[in-house]
Amino acid sequence: MFLARIDGTLTASRKDARLDGVRFLIGQRLDGDGTTVGEPLVFLDRMGAGRGSTVLVSSDGTIARAWLGEGVPARLVVVGIVDRVSQPVAAGRVS
Amino acid sequence: MRLGLVRGHVVLSRGVPALQGVRLLLVEPVTAENLRARNRRGGGKTLVVADRLSPAAGQLVGIVEGSEAAQPFDVPTAVDAYCALIVNEYTFEPPGVSEPDGAEGRG
Repeated sequence: MFLARIDGTLTASRKDARLDGVRFLIGQRLDGDGTTVGEPLVFLDRMGAGRGSTVLVSSDGTIARAWLGEGVPARLVVVGIVDRVSQPVAAGRVS
Repeated sequence: MRLGLVRGHVVLSRGVPALQGVRLLLVEPVTAENLRARNRRGGGKTLVVADRLSPAAGQLVGIVEGSEAAQPFDVPTAVDAYCALIVNEYTFEPPGVSEPDGAEGRG
């Protein structure tokens, strides 16, 4: 699992049929210091996360298959909306 | 999944049996900067993606990677990237990024 920030949404009328009715969000993975890493990612969401939310994302497709059925081509699912992150020794500040 | 621009397709003269009849796209992943700028540039490392949706060259698609990419196939397959959707519209507004000159109105 990893943390990500939601930066947008997308719509797709042509898609794998198993993804019908799914809400898609675009976000970026967050490193320990809050910076974004890698390319933007599309997440499946049913928790109601919105732009600016920090979310917990699972990269195990099991949860997508439990939700949408066997055969669904999906891996990244929002599994939590983050309230706060406590990091007593902040990344990059270790002397 | 990542987002990528369709750049072309690949045809095999020989391949493992699991890839027979599988259409293969060349897809260039899109970086955050290019997604935000809507400049039709990718910037990521091009990969080959199995496809059943037939997007046109230049279209933006969603690519599922890893073992989940093989989920739509009935038999064990070599596929590790799959075109799961074709994007109609998107919003992408990361916070704290200043507007580049001249980008206004290009939406």
